[in-house]
Amino acid sequence: MSTYVLVAGNAGVSKLVAAAVELGGPVVAVVVGGADLAQAAAAPGVDRVVWLGEPGGKAAEAFAADVAKLVAADPGTVLAGRGPAERALLGAVAAAIAAPVVTAPVEIAPGQVTRGLVGGLALETRRYDGPVAIAADGGAPLAGGGGATVEQVSANPAAVEVTGLRPGRAAADLGSAARVVAVGRGLKAQADLPVIEALAAALKAELGCSRPLAEGLDWLPRDRYIGISGQQISPRLYLAVGISGQLQHMAGCRDSQLVVSINTDPDAPIASQSDYILTGDLYALAPALTAALG
Amino acid sequence: MPFQLTDEQVLTRDSVREFAEAEIAPIAAEIDQNHRPPLESIGKLAEAGLLGMLIPEEYGGAGLDALSYAIAIEELSRVCATHGVLVEAHSSLCTWAIAHHGTEDQKRKYLPDLASGEAVGAFGLTEPNAGSDASSLATTAVRDSDEFVLNGQKIFITNGGFAKTFVIMARSTDAPGVKGISAFIVERGRPGFEILEPERKMGIRGSSTTPLAFTGCRIPAANLLGQEGAGFKIAMQILDGGRTGIAAQAVGIAQGAFEAACKYAKERVQFGRPIAALQAIQWLIADMAVDIAAGRALVYRAADLESRGEPHGQAAAMAKLFCGEMATRVTGKAIQVHGGVGYTEAYPVERAYRDAKITEIYEGTSEIQRLVIARHYLR
Amino acid sequence: MRIVVLHKWAPDPQEATVGADGSVDFSRAKAAVSDYDAVAIQCGRQLADAAGAALVGVSVGGEAAARPVATKSALARGLDEVVVVSDPELEEAGSARTAQAIAAAVAALGDVGLVLAGDSSVDVGARMVPAVVAGRLGWPVLADVDSVALAGGSVAVERLAPEGVQSISAALPVVIALTSEAVKTKAPGMKDVLGAGKKPVTVKSLADLGLTALSEGAVTSRAKLGGPARKGVVIDTSDPAAAAAELVDALRAAGALA
Repeated sequence: MSTYVLVAGNAGVSKLVAAAVELGGPVVAVVVGGADLAQAAAAPGVDRVVWLGEPGGKAAEAFAADVAKLVAADPGTVLAGRGPAERALLGAVAAAIAAPVVTAPVEIAPGQVTRGLVGGLALETRRYDGPVAIAADGGAPLAGGGGATVEQVSANPAAVEVTGLRPGRAAADLGSAARVVAVGRGLKAQADLPVIEALAAALKAELGCSRPLAEGLDWLPRDRYIGISGQQISPRLYLAVGISGQLQHMAGCRDSQLVVSINTDPDAPIASQSDYILTGDLYALAPALTAALG
Repeated sequence: MPFQLTDEQVLTRDSVREFAEAEIAPIAAEIDQNHRPPLESIGKLAEAGLLGMLIPEEYGGAGLDALSYAIAIEELSRVCATHGVLVEAHSSLCTWAIAHHGTEDQKRKYLPDLASGEAVGAFGLTEPNAGSDASSLATTAVRDSDEFVLNGQKIFITNGGFAKTFVIMARSTDAPGVKGISAFIVERGRPGFEILEPERKMGIRGSSTTPLAFTGCRIPAANLLGQEGAGFKIAMQILDGGRTGIAAQAVGIAQGAFEAACKYAKERVQFGRPIAALQAIQWLIADMAVDIAAGRALVYRAADLESRGEPHGQAAAMAKLFCGEMATRVTGKAIQVHGGVGYTEAYPVERAYRDAKITEIYEGTSEIQRLVIARHYLR
Repeated sequence: MRIVVLHKWAPDPQEATVGADGSVDFSRAKAAVSDYDAVAIQCGRQLADAAGAALVGVSVGGEAAARPVATKSALARGLDEVVVVSDPELEEAGSARTAQAIAAAVAALGDVGLVLAGDSSVDVGARMVPAVVAGRLGWPVLADVDSVALAGGSVAVERLAPEGVQSISAALPVVIALTSEAVKTKAPGMKDVLGAGKKPVTVKSLADLGLTALSEGAVTSRAKLGGPARKGVVIDTSDPAAAAAELVDALRAAGALA
């Protein structure tokens, strides 16, 4: 029985390949995207690369039915990243093979997956008798170097066309950022955002925020919101500024390697979940930190 | 008396809460600090159907029952007492009066605009020398062929600064005491109708509270609301409903302060643990919760009686008396839970405390409510 | 044409508590129409009005999903009617089971050109249901969509991609999952509240839809999740500059700086 890794326009699936190798069986990378992406997918650990051909103007989602048919011919557990195209392909496969769907896995073993519940409040382990569809953090980009050859298969994509790309505002990529500075309600006004932006720039970090700033106050775009229904990230450094650290927020950053908090309340929940705690006024501490980094 | 809210009443609470938190909470502190009437909210309130709550559907309103209405006033006041009284005075004191005592022509002329927010309503009873004692009313309305000519002064008129439709009590006959009082609909902008400088108040600072001056102000005789000489009776009926509204406002103010106190008690750490773990704080919280629940039950009872068309004056007086004093108690305790910061403008309980006090005073002081209640038993 | 909006009657996860054994207790959590579904309903209303389409809500869940307060809450937000698949079997259904029921309900409606969903449910947040629904229906799905417009037999959407704002056009029928950018939600007005009870509601069971069981695995264990152990080093901030220098040294030593 094969184990599948779905690759949709983006080679960042190293963690999925590693998990697939653990699950055993031939690891099949199913690639929707250009020829170079298919080449990149032929990385160590990948036994077969099945490529659906040049997409032309089609969106990756157009190939969902093709991918589903391909997996349904030899059903097995399927892993995909958390992006919209990856989820589209994974959903089609799950429907085609009537597989249960698992998100936020923390441990994947043959026939058994442990996942976080309610944004990571609790853990649950389930046993599965058949294939499972798993959406998970993809990991670093593959860069070829494995032994597999690319097998091209014919596709019959749906009428889903990419009709334009307007540069300018692009989705923030907090997921792959090594450092993230996140700001919360401790910031008094939107006009004060430059204080935090300067700190993020000095740290070479992406800027994130808690939910109220993105949904409610609208001080920052939604794709920068970290929490249970926003981005779930695990950077090397997470610097929380003016964030109290409610559970719903921490669910989005609990896997960060190092957590630093700047907050006025020494007893806010964030403090007990920080490696370094700076208690005080963010308007004094953030600029001081920016200066120390410069 | 058990109250099982209908689905619609539950939804009214949820919807008004959502509206209030999205549209009103962001400006609540600012309008208080600047003594600024929230004119930008009027269109939003109308769109949400909150200006037509007591207006029947055929005149553009939602035609809500009295309990749903009380719930809506409570939810607005939980976030901002100024918005609570803006809607309450507009609804209970003006739209209700026209909907219940107006002629078909008057209803068609005024109610759709009051429901759509094109016009905001106000009510003019109080005068410099006629507060609780309506029999001293001195404003006159003298018949002159097909017009009435108004002369006199009103004070403390809620929404005065921007209302377009006023229900005004004036003396139109020589009958002694309250018997000569009649109700009139007076439109803003009539020659001889002047709106004076707003008061600067301790609380509900965004509410526009103004004196009105009538100097030979001519209005059509068709603007007489109800029978001539029935003004006092109409005013008392208006205030019965209004008192339930103000009691609901008081419950909302108390509820908002209570929630702020609970939140603070759980977050604030002293002696190594949240102050919520201290029995001294727990007792305050428990007493506040009981006080609010008791007040809300009285409001629901009065509103429920009104919804069913039962006599509700005494129940409304009880609700108004208890809830006004309760709101002052609860908001005071909410500040106590906060300690020093609760006394600053940085936390909303300071505003709630100032806002609460007026609920013991307007639309009949606590003393008048006691009089109403005692008379009911001692007559 | 019908436009379907998926909506969930979901408990507020802020009120969820986790027992020492990892069991999640939602009993104190107030249920409501899941936040992002309100976005989908309001956006659906605008699209349906513009296209002259009927707007049908489809909701799936246990007994609570079919309560009048649940259906009225959704209807008050602008739906024309609601179909609920309510079954004790669906009480803790996962994405696969939920999607199976939704797809069957949508297929039973007929003449559906567009299925709209919110970004995720507030309580589970798996973000997978729209994709599995699309898979079951054999339709394409587009997720993370910030804006939608209907034009004849196709739909044009925009979404934020790492490269910029991407425009995509897809032939109907299609499933779309919206972000909260799609529309700023408005609370239902008083007339909407009073009108909600007058709109049609259809409740179906899994048996009504002829659905067979779908295994979502067997729970073998649950545990309360503790965060990773943190160092908990308190840095003296009486001198901000010194505190900043101390932190920078520590971060550099940990290899956390660029």
